[in-house]
Amino acid sequence: MRATLRRTLGLAWVLPALVLVGVFVYLPLVQNLQFSTAKWDIYSGGQEFVGLGNYTKLAEDPVFWSSLGNNVLYAAVSIVFQVFGALLLAALIESVRSERWQRALRAIYFIPSAISLTVAGLLFYFLYEPNLGPLNHALRAAGLGELAQAWLGQESTAMSAIIAMSQWQGFGYSTLLFAVAIQRIPGEIYGAAAIDGVGPVGRFFHVTVPLVREMTGLMAIVTLSGAFQVFNEVMVMTAGGPNNSTQVLGTWLYRSGFVRNNFGYAAAIATVLFAITLAVAVAQLWVTRRRRVEW
Amino acid sequence: MVTRLSFLGVIARVFMWAFLLALAVVVLYPLLWMTLNGFKTNAELFGDPFALPLDWSFDNYAKAWNRGVSGYLGTSVLVTLTSTVATVFISAWAAYGLTRVDIPLNRTLTAAVLGGLMLAPTVALVPLVRLFQSLGLYNTFWALLILYTAFRIPFTTFLIRAYMIDLPREVDEAAEMDGAGRWTAFWRIILPMCKPILTSTVLLHILFTWNEYLFAMIFTSGSGVQTLPVGLTSLMSKHGTDYPVVFAGMVIAALPVVLLFFLGQRYIVKGLADGIGK
Amino acid sequence: MRPRALPTFAALLGTLTLAACGGGGAAQAPKADAAATPEFSGTLSILTKFAGDPTGPYFEKLTAAYAKQHPQVKFELIQETDQSVKDKLKTLTASDALPDIYFTWTGNWADNYIRGGRAADLSAVIGPDTAWGKTFSPGSLAAFARDGKYYGIPLYGNGKFMGYSKSAFAKAGVEVPRTFEELVAACGPLRKAGYEPVAFGNKDGWPALHYLQQLFAYNVPDATLQADFDPATAKLDDPGYVTALNQFKTLVDQCTDTREGTNGVLYSSAQEAFAGGKAAMYYQEILEFDNATSDKVKPDDFGIFQLPVPRNAPGDGAVLEGSPEGYLVNARSPRVALAVDFMKFVTSQENARTLSAPPYGQPSTVVGAVTPETSSKAVYEGVQLVNKAPKLAIWLDTVTVPEVADAWLAGGEALISGGTTAEKVLESVRQASESAK
Repeated sequence: MRATLRRTLGLAWVLPALVLVGVFVYLPLVQNLQFSTAKWDIYSGGQEFVGLGNYTKLAEDPVFWSSLGNNVLYAAVSIVFQVFGALLLAALIESVRSERWQRALRAIYFIPSAISLTVAGLLFYFLYEPNLGPLNHALRAAGLGELAQAWLGQESTAMSAIIAMSQWQGFGYSTLLFAVAIQRIPGEIYGAAAIDGVGPVGRFFHVTVPLVREMTGLMAIVTLSGAFQVFNEVMVMTAGGPNNSTQVLGTWLYRSGFVRNNFGYAAAIATVLFAITLAVAVAQLWVTRRRRVEW
Repeated sequence: MVTRLSFLGVIARVFMWAFLLALAVVVLYPLLWMTLNGFKTNAELFGDPFALPLDWSFDNYAKAWNRGVSGYLGTSVLVTLTSTVATVFISAWAAYGLTRVDIPLNRTLTAAVLGGLMLAPTVALVPLVRLFQSLGLYNTFWALLILYTAFRIPFTTFLIRAYMIDLPREVDEAAEMDGAGRWTAFWRIILPMCKPILTSTVLLHILFTWNEYLFAMIFTSGSGVQTLPVGLTSLMSKHGTDYPVVFAGMVIAALPVVLLFFLGQRYIVKGLADGIGK
Repeated sequence: MRPRALPTFAALLGTLTLAACGGGGAAQAPKADAAATPEFSGTLSILTKFAGDPTGPYFEKLTAAYAKQHPQVKFELIQETDQSVKDKLKTLTASDALPDIYFTWTGNWADNYIRGGRAADLSAVIGPDTAWGKTFSPGSLAAFARDGKYYGIPLYGNGKFMGYSKSAFAKAGVEVPRTFEELVAACGPLRKAGYEPVAFGNKDGWPALHYLQQLFAYNVPDATLQADFDPATAKLDDPGYVTALNQFKTLVDQCTDTREGTNGVLYSSAQEAFAGGKAAMYYQEILEFDNATSDKVKPDDFGIFQLPVPRNAPGDGAVLEGSPEGYLVNARSPRVALAVDFMKFVTSQENARTLSAPPYGQPSTVVGAVTPETSSKAVYEGVQLVNKAPKLAIWLDTVTVPEVADAWLAGGEALISGGTTAEKVLESVRQASESAK
């Protein structure tokens, strides 16, 4: 009896965390499912059950699909630059002989990741600004004046401009992590490869790439998950415009609910977003469990 | 043969360095430009974006400070400090219970706490607005404190738990022999041993909270409760034509975390690597 | 996650679901008595649209003055900008956290609050026959009335005009245009004289809606237009829409320097271009007049004219885009009477004059508050023109439902950046209207 009581009392250790996560993370998730089946008038507070109506509307909404497409594009570009590009860059940095320079480069590349996306977004808003922005000024000075344009103001360039900013902001983060992973590779392996006459390029492909494969997998998943949750930079730079060409799922959810008064529809978008991020998270679990099964 | 190889090697080195340094310039130049613009006047900014400021005065920084940035900074500092303490303490508390105390349903509870890692904050947005309204906490400092804590507990617990699991069992036995209670063992023995991971989690939490935008934008309105990331966008829309002041505000917002990163680089790297690699 | 852990975890989630479904349903609004004698205590919360310069201090000063008279009354002042107030109000509404007094536009925007029972019926205190009501221009009161009941406290009138620099026009040798075609034709000479003919920044989308709504009023018969604002009766098939959209596109292409890049320019940059003497014209609200003048464009150099009517336009050429803006009192507030008393203070003759004069320059709806002596010349002139207009066209983004307004907004942006045709824009708006039924 006493032992059982003692064990139960031990729950007090976990309770605060459990209550907070339960009430503010899980509960809203469940409520969201309920909201997504309703039409909700925020002014009168009334809710009307519409079944899967919001989901059928979703399937027919071109902006939803283009938002999803933008997320996918975001993910694809980020994987190229922030996973493969970063891996290559990390290997380059690690091949620098001076350790002081290695540290300095890693730190410099990381700085953009330490500043908020709001600051980075505003900064790039000004860099891209058609009249006062240095990008257009530089193009004109270089005699490429016809390339100068309203980068964020045109449907054809706005999304790419935002994604470019995002790469600038994020590549240092993954480079840093790859650098750590490369440092964990025992030096003897490289030494042995060098003795066998394998050049630096060969060493990269035959030693570095296979030995950081796990980190590559994880970075791909983290990048993917991040790409589907994009919100801040788009809000700051274009708020989804022009003509919804830069909407992503997060901003379209926000606009549908908070601007277009359609909270039920916003909840349906949230469900889709949940399904995607959950799938990515499960993939992460799967990758992780091969190395360390703890829970 | 050997000379040709080394010649190629030299060329490769030169290209590598040129690339690495060019990349550093691409990273640093926008930041430098931002900082310099904080010293310019509107006319200078509109004239030649590449020119150096004529007069190195801190006027714009003072203006930004007086036009609300001091308030945003205060809120950001307060939310960051309180939620860091709350998150790290509650997470360490839970991690201790999950790893070193014999409790029922251990595996289920671990899954329940860490499972929160999988959920994106955006998904919970609409219900959270209603929840906080019914609790009367909407547009209060508490809303941000609670959200930042609740949504970061899974990740923080995950990191601390992984570290605690590796601590030797003998530590607890020694504590019990000394007659120390669970609390004393946690506070006096285990926590101090976890110092490296605690430092990492504290720094990572600060980085997160300081820069968080989604919750801050939706759950706060008006001065007094707005944090820097949201405050900066209001600064932009309220004083939109006075761009140098906006730049000054951006620098004020960015500086603390950049400094923090340089001071705590080692711990941040370790925390990131552990968080992602395990 | 081990399989064994899953069922227990699922049970936990199930409990949470049950908790989630319990409770709910908004409380019915208590009958608020606006005419009661106020109790001078408690905290009065106010959401304004006056954040920033130069209007920011207006409510700050008034609340301080009122608190001096009534030391027991405290204020919670939430000041937002034109851009941020929409999102903020919707969030506060959705979360049942509306302040005691809050800003509103006219049209569908105010109707939603009235229909939802969130705006207190103020007929007893501000109806046209009441003492307070008589101090306002009747039209401004009517703008916030619904089914014979009066809900809003109009604060200032507003209208959209083309502001121009007289010296720029003189230098280019152009006259104030009498038709839309003349306006477009004037852009060539103005550009030759070294000016950007019309400064225009559409980063936020709504500035285009202001052009569109005025052009719709000119090109589409009023009855059709009114029916089309309501999704239940909307057809949106009048050929005037396409004409208006094309006219707008012509203006952007021929009169702005930013052309298809206009979506990348901030509204405030355009304002700055005009105030800095770089642009000859800038389409603006009366509220901005005192902001538009500067060292470069002196008040005497600043002139205004209504956006000229296109030749042979089938709509009503006398309609001017504009509408009063005002405040609603939260029907669920426990301090309705106090809120009314404070708003009476805000709209007193003296405070109304202060509001109408520089630096604020917001023309009060209180009769006699805008005078040639106290207000700037342009503001006075603008108000006279608003009063003369037989009918006002309410802003497109507040007159119709948000989903349709948002479709117009995206359509305007699409037209500017050139990826679409007027017909396609109209089609997408029609779909949005269909979906909003």
